[in-house]
Amino acid sequence: MLLTINHLYKSFNREKVQAVYDTSLQLEAGKTYAFLGESGSGKTTLARLIAGLERPDRGEIYLNERLISSESYHLPAEKRAIGFVFQHYALFPHLTIAKNIEYGISARPDKRKVVEDMLSLISLEGYGKRYPHEISGGQQQRIALARALAPKPRLILLDEPFSNLDSNLRQELRTEVFTILQKTGVGAIFITHNSEDAMAISDEIAVFKDGRLVQKATPEELYEHPVSPYVAGFFDTLIEMPPSLLSSFGYQVNQHKLYLIRNHDFHFNGFKEFSTDATVISSSRVGRNYLIDVKVGEHVLQVSSEEKPDQSEISISWRERDLLVFPKPDQPV
Amino acid sequence: MRSPLERYIKKRFRDFDGFSVWAVLITVFIGIPTIFIAVKIFEGPGESWYHIAEYLLPKYIGNSLYLAGLCTVLSVLFGVLSAWFSVRYEFYGRRMLEWLLILPLAIPSYITAYAYAGIFDYGGSLNLLLGWFSLDIGRIDLMNINGLAFILSISLYPYVYVACRAFFLHRSQSLIDASKVLGKGELQHFFKLILPMARPAMVGGVILILMEVLNDYGAAKYYGVNTFTTGIFKSWFGYREPETAVYLAALLLVIIFGLILIEQKQRGARKFAVQGESGRQLQRLKSSTAKKISITTVVALPAFLGFVAPVIQLVYWAAISYVKIDWPSLLQVVLQSLGIAAFAAFSCVLTAMSLLLAKTWNRLEWVNQMSKIGILGYAIPGAVIAVGVYMPSLYFDKWLIGIVGKTFSLKINLLLTGTVIALIYAYVVRFLAVAFNPIAASRENIQLGLIQASQSLGKGAFSTFLKIELPLLKPALLGAFILVFIDVMKELPLTLILKPYDVQTLAIEAYQFASDERVIEAAMPSLLIIATGVLPVVFLNRLVSRN
Amino acid sequence: MKYITLIISCLVMLGSCKSPQEKTEDNPVDQVVNVYTHRHYDVDQQLFEKFEEETGIQVNVVNANADELIQKMEAEGQESPADVLITVDAGRLARAKEKELLQSVSSEFLNSTVPSHLKDEDNHWFALTKRARIIVYAKDRVQPEELSTYEALTEAQWRGKVVIRSSSNIYNQSLLASIIANDGEDSARTWVAGVVQNMARVPKGNDRDQVKAVAAGEGDLAVVNTYYLGRMANSEDAAEVEASSKVGIYFPNQNGRGAHINISGAGVAKYSPNKENAIRFIEYLASKPAQEVFAEANYEYPIHPEVPPTELLQSWGDFKEDQLPLSKLGEYNKLANLIFDAGNWP
Repeated sequence: MLLTINHLYKSFNREKVQAVYDTSLQLEAGKTYAFLGESGSGKTTLARLIAGLERPDRGEIYLNERLISSESYHLPAEKRAIGFVFQHYALFPHLTIAKNIEYGISARPDKRKVVEDMLSLISLEGYGKRYPHEISGGQQQRIALARALAPKPRLILLDEPFSNLDSNLRQELRTEVFTILQKTGVGAIFITHNSEDAMAISDEIAVFKDGRLVQKATPEELYEHPVSPYVAGFFDTLIEMPPSLLSSFGYQVNQHKLYLIRNHDFHFNGFKEFSTDATVISSSRVGRNYLIDVKVGEHVLQVSSEEKPDQSEISISWRERDLLVFPKPDQPV
Repeated sequence: MRSPLERYIKKRFRDFDGFSVWAVLITVFIGIPTIFIAVKIFEGPGESWYHIAEYLLPKYIGNSLYLAGLCTVLSVLFGVLSAWFSVRYEFYGRRMLEWLLILPLAIPSYITAYAYAGIFDYGGSLNLLLGWFSLDIGRIDLMNINGLAFILSISLYPYVYVACRAFFLHRSQSLIDASKVLGKGELQHFFKLILPMARPAMVGGVILILMEVLNDYGAAKYYGVNTFTTGIFKSWFGYREPETAVYLAALLLVIIFGLILIEQKQRGARKFAVQGESGRQLQRLKSSTAKKISITTVVALPAFLGFVAPVIQLVYWAAISYVKIDWPSLLQVVLQSLGIAAFAAFSCVLTAMSLLLAKTWNRLEWVNQMSKIGILGYAIPGAVIAVGVYMPSLYFDKWLIGIVGKTFSLKINLLLTGTVIALIYAYVVRFLAVAFNPIAASRENIQLGLIQASQSLGKGAFSTFLKIELPLLKPALLGAFILVFIDVMKELPLTLILKPYDVQTLAIEAYQFASDERVIEAAMPSLLIIATGVLPVVFLNRLVSRN
Repeated sequence: MKYITLIISCLVMLGSCKSPQEKTEDNPVDQVVNVYTHRHYDVDQQLFEKFEEETGIQVNVVNANADELIQKMEAEGQESPADVLITVDAGRLARAKEKELLQSVSSEFLNSTVPSHLKDEDNHWFALTKRARIIVYAKDRVQPEELSTYEALTEAQWRGKVVIRSSSNIYNQSLLASIIANDGEDSARTWVAGVVQNMARVPKGNDRDQVKAVAAGEGDLAVVNTYYLGRMANSEDAAEVEASSKVGIYFPNQNGRGAHINISGAGVAKYSPNKENAIRFIEYLASKPAQEVFAEANYEYPIHPEVPPTELLQSWGDFKEDQLPLSKLGEYNKLANLIFDAGNWP
């Protein structure tokens, strides 16, 4: 195991805020992981605990089977050899690009060469003499990555690495960063609130909520079998199906369950397992799909579809396997 | 076809409008003394110049450079360390020390010099104190160039402290974290990151200190150190050649600007934007009791040396000379000082604001460049400014008397010369930069979007200023007011020359006692200067901390 | 609240800065005398108030260094409101005369009261008080018999033993000017070189500090003004009293020209708008009652022949004064400065 986390706790403000609560996790070497969660879910705090920037209240962290954090022991961040790419890059404004990359390896005799290698790795050869404020946001991002990679860390943490970039650049850079990490073979953890980023780049995703690990699985597994509406909600817009609505589709309802359907799993006029009559109220094109407001009895559903119905009175249907069923949140699990 | 000259003029004046006129008028108004002195420079020095250049200048310049160098090192040491510790660490008495560290600014440095002479004197407070413990460490002689550098550093380091502290407060934790995960320890964060990054803030503070050091006369004279300023006074009063004095002052200016230029050039491409970084604020480190105690000691030392120790000495003196104090007349001096300082600070802030607005709203680059003359005053010795104010106001008065005498056959008196108006005007000239810089800096931080939003909502430039900028600038304006207020309370040479009849300020009262070798009696007015400075400084610090 | 404070303080200031010029305009019957003075003593203030009481003439005071006052009067020229200039040094008065800032005064009283060497030959200024610049010695290390003259301070036996102020001090400038006037420029240069060689330390501090340095053993001899010794002996600060008790007082050159003296004195400004009042004012300060006040308050020697100095000064004994016309001090001031600089006297 590259990283083992055992029952980790961390709170702030005299235990008023439980940032990380009883979290256990095992990460294998050579794989790419994503920590996915809303802001305040504890994912960044966990990353900072791993890097040694915070000390846990309880629990242990092992890197390569060696204890690095516990209630009583703390290997300082500067001794951990864990790389960290910060959300706003934290490039040192008074140092050139080359000096920024060199910063973590200043004691090494071959530092010049490493810097050159790093610059070519990120395809920014010849940028060494410039200052951070003289280059673009995407370039700064890559420099921050190169700086973190230069000391050859065993693990690298990337905190919201793409959040400052617009969507075109985001995809481009995502691929690029992925390629760079593949080349170096370093274990990486992406901390992100964007499910698309997480799915595109990682072998496994750990989803966090309120300081707790909710689910850890491969992207496919996570998509197919989310353990909670929170997890499912990261990937799609969900429509809650109350019992009255479900029964109008002819579905047998269990009062102790919560039913949800992704907004693109509805079908018009075709024959599917559960169907009923509906009225189209309005529709609008959003990119490739249409968002269509349909009225079913008292309920209005906003569904997403590739095609637009050509009449207003239609039938609407869904398949049983698309129905997501969870225990009701107020029920004991 | 137009001639090139015509086109040039046309281009230069195309945008010449009311605001340009305003900018030019304010600049000329404020620039009169500077221009007057600048013109004097071209008249060349007097005949004693050669004597001074031969016998005195090499020594004086040597002393001044040595003093400037040592003061820079010491005040950076005091200022940067205390600023860094107070932002980065948790320690005992932190909140109190944070503002106590600024207070040395409330004591005129020559008074600190006298107080220290009293402490280390033969039979002085230190010997007295050690005597109680039957200790005798002999006599420590502080009255030499190193002692002077020490005195000036402990009374001026707050310029560096304040600048660096503000800078550190706005640094983000992620820079430190980045350095940490790259394998560096706390010491390396400080030396490789914080210190180089703080350089512009540090240099800003050091330049203010250097100007004060090079302008200082009182402390240097008492400690028997001849500096460049000694030369200015000697040629003026010893050799009676004001032109030589002004010439020397101009040389001093050239040296100061030379230093600033060299620094800027050396910084070169590294001119990175010093702005608030995004991300979380610096975390305060908690430490063990032993470490806390040593940090408290390091941070408390400059505050103790620069403020507490001299104040204790002054309180002691005030206590033993208590019976001699003429309270009613002293109270009047206090009221006059406060009134003058408040009025001067108000005028200064008002002028700074008008100059700033005129600069922003006028569209001619050359007018804006020219308006820089307006804020040169801070670099010019007070005594020289006094001459620059005195002579023109006298010319004006004489001219007015002539006109009125001829036209109306009336005999009138001097209108400006020797009045409060001339004095306040001189303060404005001298301290405009003190008010202008913080206001300008604060105004740069106002998002352009706010102003444009207001304009898009149909408000003109002036009404936008009143409704949007002025409320946002209020802390900066108050801060500027307080800084000028304190400076005026302490100001000596300019006041000495320009003050009207029966106006007495605390600084002059203290100086006259001291120069008459009645240092003990100078203690009370000195303490009053300090008291009137301390309250605003505390207030200012709360203002800075809150933002 | 802040603004209210601001407004109040401005009002207070404007209220308290009454301009004397306006007064004369509004009410020409009001009698004033405008005094530019370097003296800053409580006793002066008392005397000014007494004068106001006795004559009804209001005294307006500008307090500043003599150099600055002279500069001011020079700049103001004919428009100067100054009536009287008071300095604490004859050299400055002589300089004011040289710059034609003073005028001749014919006062029977002043002519008869002020000794001729203590006033200007053209009656441009008159002494009000006098003080001697003398030698003090460490009682435990020096016998008074070893001392003789200012010139003797250059002797080899005092190598590293003489404590003295810097050359920018006006009292030292006047002392050197008196040596130039008495012995000539060359002797003055020799004297400067000799004293510089004998200095116990780099010149610094004020007169009191020189006495303390001798008491502390930094040197054996110091050159200081008499009234500082008087003040130290009666200081609130116990250390100063102790220091003054450790030194003995020696009036030099008693077998020759006499001890160097200096004065504080007054002259009537050339463009004085209230000349009559100015003369009355100076006459008052030279009068017996005022001289008695001066003598008691400040440990200065009165110039009025019938007024004795304080007891302390009497206990030091009579001494022979240098009779050099004090105007010479002004005349040679610049040369003294040049000689100091050339002789590397810091």
